[in-house]
Amino acid sequence: MRERPLGDELLDAARSVLRDELMPALPTDKRHAALMIANALAIAARQLKNGDASERMELSALEQLLSEPFGDNGDNPAALREALVAANRKLAHWVRSGRADDGTMRDAVRAHLASVARQKVAESNPKYLGLKS
Amino acid sequence: MNDIMQNALARFIAHAAGARGVTISDARLLSGGAIQENWLVRTKIEGGAFGGRHEFVVRTDSPSGVAVSHNRAQEFALLNAAFAAGVTVPEPLWLCEDREIIGRQFFVMRRIAGTAAGHVLVKDLKTGGDHVRLAERLGEELARIHSIRPPRADLAFLPTHDEAPALHSVKRFRDYLDAHHTPHPALEWGLRWLELDAPPRGDYVLCHRDFRTGNYMVDENGLTGILDWEFAGWSDPLEDIGWFCARCWRFGAIEREAGGIGAREDFYRGYERVAGKPLDRERVSYWEVMAHMHWAIIAIQQVERHVSGEENSLLLALTGHIVPALEYEILKMTGGL
Repeated sequence: MRERPLGDELLDAARSVLRDELMPALPTDKRHAALMIANALAIAARQLKNGDASERMELSALEQLLSEPFGDNGDNPAALREALVAANRKLAHWVRSGRADDGTMRDAVRAHLASVARQKVAESNPKYLGLKS
Repeated sequence: MNDIMQNALARFIAHAAGARGVTISDARLLSGGAIQENWLVRTKIEGGAFGGRHEFVVRTDSPSGVAVSHNRAQEFALLNAAFAAGVTVPEPLWLCEDREIIGRQFFVMRRIAGTAAGHVLVKDLKTGGDHVRLAERLGEELARIHSIRPPRADLAFLPTHDEAPALHSVKRFRDYLDAHHTPHPALEWGLRWLELDAPPRGDYVLCHRDFRTGNYMVDENGLTGILDWEFAGWSDPLEDIGWFCARCWRFGAIEREAGGIGAREDFYRGYERVAGKPLDRERVSYWEVMAHMHWAIIAIQQVERHVSGEENSLLLALTGHIVPALEYEILKMTGGL
């Protein structure tokens, strides 16, 4: 069992020092770099906190939508990404060829894409959704 | 710029300006060019039509760049065409295609004063003078750019296509996504919508293709110049209108729909005054979807430069993290949310 603070907690603590102690002491031309670092730490912390749960959910939703298994091998992150690439490639092909133009398939694809997009924005830029960063 | 390069540059300017001699008192790299380098060069010119003190900007290729951007000779031709059409741009002066002078192609233009920083412009309503006038003026400038039409011998390097510009872009973006390691089904959803709703080929004009807040310079009195011509090409004029007004280029000031600095109608009014005909307002929203799509593809290309190891850059790395918000916005605009 890992000792706390865990990775995301460490990044949050590091970000506080950057914002509260370092940024006020930096010359104005270095502020942008510090803001970029703060943003990178925040994104990484949110991803660590979520773990791979959201990507596993995305994969199982894709498998249901496409009615096809894409072979997620349990706890192997590389295999999960590989399966996601294959499944999303197939969904992309479906959308392009018009299979999601109308009917229930359109509704299902639309709902799936909306839910994945929200999840990704919540990690990359939660303010865009009006969420707390 | 070292002494050898400075001396070579001074000799080049002296020759080009028909001067007896040129002294360079200062040459410094300006910030902000991801693809090109801009050097501010202060000179004293003796004799000839340019006799006196001048501030020039020397624009050079950078070692790495986005493959779709024009080279400096082409950019110089574009600036000349825009200047001749009455567009407010830094006056282009001399082109040097000989790589032996300073090691790269470059051209010299007059320096224009002011700031281009988008995030400042949308917050400080004093920067750039009266913003109603600024929005109108930008519309006027864009209409002048669009007065340049093919065929043009001086712009023969710009590719022309017989198909509708919108469909051409859809094809180009799909080709890019096909070759990319990661699929983007949300972008595919948007591309399908853009394909099915694509306007036919109509007006075909010179588009700036990066006409947005952040790419023009202002001082306290207003506009001083339109910058960054490296993506210009023949297309549907509404492509530029949509790019300028798209939510993703309002720098957070989403309520000011013309580039985060003004009202859409102010911008349109200026455009229509110079164009001499009404804008197809209904069609602009199509091109705003296209703008989000285009920016998403550029962002994926930029982050790839970081991910591939070609260029280690936190700025490029973070550009990848604007793609989800662009996808979200595209879904929202195309009935996907």
